[in-house]
Amino acid sequence: MIVRLSAFDIKRWFTVILIMISASSLVFASEIYDSTATVSRYDNRVHHYRQAWGVLIPTHIKLQYAGGMGLLSAGIGWDYGRHGQWETDLLFGFIAKHSSRRAKMTMTLKQNFIPWSISLGRGFSLEPLTTGIYFNTVFGGEFWNRQPERYPSGYYTFSTRIRTHVFIGQRLRFDIPDSRRHFFKSIALFYELSSSDFYIITAVRNHSLHPADYLRLSFGLKCDIF
Amino acid sequence: MRNKYYIVSLYFCLFLLTLLVSCEMFEEHPYDVDISGARNVNFNNVAKIEAGMAAATSMKIAMVSDTQRSLDDLKDAVRAINARGDIDFVMHGGDISDFGLTNEFEWGRDMMDRLSVPYVAVIGNHDCLGTGRDAYKGIFGDVNFAFTAGNVRFVCLNTNALEYDYSEPVPDFEFLEREIASIPSGVEKTVFLMHACPGSEVFNNNVSKVFQMYVRMFPDVQFCAYGHSHHFEISDPYGDGVMYCQCPNIAKRQYLVFTIKEEGGFDCEVVGF
Repeated sequence: MIVRLSAFDIKRWFTVILIMISASSLVFASEIYDSTATVSRYDNRVHHYRQAWGVLIPTHIKLQYAGGMGLLSAGIGWDYGRHGQWETDLLFGFIAKHSSRRAKMTMTLKQNFIPWSISLGRGFSLEPLTTGIYFNTVFGGEFWNRQPERYPSGYYTFSTRIRTHVFIGQRLRFDIPDSRRHFFKSIALFYELSSSDFYIITAVRNHSLHPADYLRLSFGLKCDIF
Repeated sequence: MRNKYYIVSLYFCLFLLTLLVSCEMFEEHPYDVDISGARNVNFNNVAKIEAGMAAATSMKIAMVSDTQRSLDDLKDAVRAINARGDIDFVMHGGDISDFGLTNEFEWGRDMMDRLSVPYVAVIGNHDCLGTGRDAYKGIFGDVNFAFTAGNVRFVCLNTNALEYDYSEPVPDFEFLEREIASIPSGVEKTVFLMHACPGSEVFNNNVSKVFQMYVRMFPDVQFCAYGHSHHFEISDPYGDGVMYCQCPNIAKRQYLVFTIKEEGGFDCEVVGF
């Protein structure tokens, strides 16, 4: 078998190697800072190695209905930032068959920004604005990222596989009291209003389209593990 | 202060409820082929054309093509055609959609439904993208079809061979053979409608001469109407007297009017709007 490395593959592997190097340098840096006489250098190194990779443990799970990412999507995500205002999710969903040839799988990478949280008392809080962007890819031979070779060059300049969506929404969160905490720290119900790249570029040219034609709704559940 | 927050959360819940009610806006995916509204559009319109024009020996047909993302222009074309009042039916030359999105077909259909006369639409190369050909099939019907208006047989074909990459025969000669073998009585003339003409990069040009051979087996071919290259053109590409007429894309704000005359021959007029 001949392995062909495209420029894209090389770029991807380069990124992975870069992340690994930076992660290990983090381990070494903190090792010098923390080293004590009682704990061996090896223990220390393992401790910080675990700590560094611990950042990658997902902080929440998310379930989302509709929104151009499938009938139902589920996945993991990470909260970060000083006020936990940033959130990144990786979701997998499925599209039902409907009038097409088969059901399809999708994958979504979603970046959320949640600038404010208002406490409503009794453990409830309102996040009056959530906004962000998500990229959805759909699996199946009928979709391509770049036009197949049979077409003359530059025939189709867009990707049918990857859709970019932007959204705004709101969220209602409930912090589960310590005594009742079994699986999750808190749960949040959210809804979003979104549009995708193809809808936006069609809407800007056509006044005959109404907001209901190019705006899409979705709702979901976010469960914080820690 | 507490009361204010309860009002906010109540408002939030109410808003959520109203959203849940407006179901149409919950979408699985732009390519989900979850069709709402009318299906079998070509089939139903063909029934109307055949019933309404059973005895016709002359007719006026308007043609629009390549809507892609120009819905506003299509809206104006529909309005202009309706205002004339002398058109028997309308042909769409394909590329109803630009990306093959399910909604694009629905938008195109809903806009064409505003016509006061029936219409048929053939599949274009853009209509084949993603799940587009499933959406076309679901909304408009089969990619190859034929119907009779008075004494004229209209043969509507999928000619987007490049999109199908040998997965299906394009153009479908078996369909043409079946059609030749079963021409209804009373048919004296034939008109062809397709998206890409022979010679186009989308057409299977290895069989373009064979295609023309089949075309000429039909009774008294008037013309072959097509779209795709976005400008008006009328030519006799094989030098055998069979005229190929290209309809401009709708963004040029032009449509064609074909007049099939009782005494023979046809007129093709470019109309701006």
